[in-house]
Amino acid sequence: MPNSAGHVKFVMPPIGSIGSGLASYRDLTRTLTDEKSTLYSALSAIVYMLQSLNRSPFLLGFLSNHEQVRNMSRVKRRNTHPGYWLSLKNVQKKDDKISADNLRFMREVIQDKYKNKSPLKVSELQIEKTEWDPKTKRSGVIARNIGRQQMWDKDGNKIVCTVLHVLDNHVIRYIPPEEYVKTSRGAIHFKNKTPLGCLVVGAEATNPEKFTRQYCNLFAEVGLMPKKTLSRFIITPNAALPPCTPITAGHFLVGQAVDVYGKTVDHGFQGVVKRWGFKGGPASHGATKFHRRGGTIGTGRDKARVWPGTKMPGHMGSERRYNRGLMIMRINMKYNVIYVKGTVPGATNSIVRIFDTLLPLRKFKEAPPHPTYFPPEDGTQKEEDIWDSRLHVFGSPSISV
Amino acid sequence: MLRRVVLQTFRQGLAQSFFKRNAASLSESAVTQHPIETSEEAGAKSGSKQKNGDESGNTVVVAPPEFRFMYPEFLPDPTMERRNKLKEKLERMDMLQRRSIIEIPEFYTGSIMAVTVADSNSPNKFACFVGICIQRGGSGLQAWFILRNVVDRQGVEILYEMYCPLIQKIEVLRLERRLDESLLYLRDALPEYSTFPFEMEAERRLNNSVVPINPIKVKLRPRPWLERWERQNLQGVEDLNLPQRYYDRAKEVAKPWEKYDLMLQYRKTIPAEEQEKIYAEVHSQLQQQDLKRKIKRRRGPSSEQ
Repeated sequence: MPNSAGHVKFVMPPIGSIGSGLASYRDLTRTLTDEKSTLYSALSAIVYMLQSLNRSPFLLGFLSNHEQVRNMSRVKRRNTHPGYWLSLKNVQKKDDKISADNLRFMREVIQDKYKNKSPLKVSELQIEKTEWDPKTKRSGVIARNIGRQQMWDKDGNKIVCTVLHVLDNHVIRYIPPEEYVKTSRGAIHFKNKTPLGCLVVGAEATNPEKFTRQYCNLFAEVGLMPKKTLSRFIITPNAALPPCTPITAGHFLVGQAVDVYGKTVDHGFQGVVKRWGFKGGPASHGATKFHRRGGTIGTGRDKARVWPGTKMPGHMGSERRYNRGLMIMRINMKYNVIYVKGTVPGATNSIVRIFDTLLPLRKFKEAPPHPTYFPPEDGTQKEEDIWDSRLHVFGSPSISV
Repeated sequence: MLRRVVLQTFRQGLAQSFFKRNAASLSESAVTQHPIETSEEAGAKSGSKQKNGDESGNTVVVAPPEFRFMYPEFLPDPTMERRNKLKEKLERMDMLQRRSIIEIPEFYTGSIMAVTVADSNSPNKFACFVGICIQRGGSGLQAWFILRNVVDRQGVEILYEMYCPLIQKIEVLRLERRLDESLLYLRDALPEYSTFPFEMEAERRLNNSVVPINPIKVKLRPRPWLERWERQNLQGVEDLNLPQRYYDRAKEVAKPWEKYDLMLQYRKTIPAEEQEKIYAEVHSQLQQQDLKRKIKRRRGPSSEQ
């Protein structure tokens, strides 16, 4: 018998765990205990609760692995349209009939506007000196996942690291908490919490010819070349940075834990076996056209329809995910590259965002580069390639056990 | 001063070195008019670089074409989705760092090698294994090779990752090639073809510029085999003596059009122009490392005296 989609098995969880936080069923449990109910009635109450609780899309802690949980299949997992609040980004009409002279002139203007500017010095930026405290939320960074590389630790064990190239990040603007709370996004984010500020960071400077005027104007105030990728980072006001501040790989420390956010690999339209892990049907023994299908999608009696969230074939992948608590094993300051232990959501050459971790046991105990890392003005750089103490550096002698 | 009279393009050099490397006898090598230097000879000239004249008149440093065979792991995985120039460059830098510590010599499938590895479970903390290289693969720091030997009538194969820091020494005892790129059929061959004594010493090569090809034809044990060897076009195996239906089925199943499929080859290889750039980047360091080792080797016995 194939594992059909609609079949739900009931498993008895430990009785002690039932009463936790179920306000609507408190009366039921109280009357049962008052009457000194038998074990049978207690169990039937549990069965009744589970039947009704199973319809809710929220994950319940005491459901065991045998239960088919419908929650993730009911949640809207992706959309392909851009947010309504965003301005049009890419130039729509590409076959503009411009004469060669005009095109050349346009390019000269772009050169004059952006390229002939000397890079900003740290001393020119007005950075307020603020104190770091454990509750500070620093900015994150936009990076590109450029592949995986393996390294070895001092005992000779292999460690597979993901290589993240920190692109040319520049701060575009800072939105203080009072203003950010008034925006639609901020209002949702800080509904019942103390508001925090928002730092808009852009990466990957590109030719302005590719973008619309509205999009280029986002960067015009600060005088930056338009960036391909923009990102918002929620920060505490003491970690605010002025516009045009560059953020590099030195923003992070070797040995710290980071969370990496990305969009998972896009698998396209996939069947039920790959998408939901169904077992399908037998390969032989006379199975007629039933090898990778889902089987039944519902019962005839209960509600007499296919329930929303029933697991079926569909689009798989391209979802927002965070891989949390990844340790930074190595930073290359010259090339702005971070080696992070483990894997990161998304395919190679895709854009990811890196933040300081929010896992409580892996947070900073000492102050990191706050609000961000600035290379020393007198040119004496930190080491170019910083390795974690556990790693075997390639230029050092072979390991002898 | 350059020894070679005529400067050639990378591709011409590739073709020549291919024919040269496949020379079965020494006499063929003497005939060629444009001798191609190996790393040893090149290193002896204290890091001579071969310069190729560009059309615009600027000199461009180009690595010797043999590098493509001697250091194949420097070429990245050709899968386009996973390629990134910066990552490959950083990986190559790490590879060169590791090579500055340990000598990873030139070897091919069919060469007999001895590898010493740090092993906590060994009595003297180092484990040495001698075997014939039956397969090599991987690119970058993941490059590996498999050594096979028969120990106490038990076939043993060990996969070594070339850049693992536990490896203390890689020594090539006999440098030669076979007629096939992969010798996995030795698993089904008579054990004498895979047996090599652990006390084997390094053999001196008579001619440094040519890697000899061993034209041995191996005898397989009677069936059953691990793979369908009749379908694989093996050159280094004696006549399999199978019933005709095996060969007929092999013909039905064969894909003879693949040798005409240019896109398939394109997708499996790195284009020659990119190979040029990659080797041009690394060759000076590799030659310097080689030279230092040679000087050390020459000084070593003399300083002992």
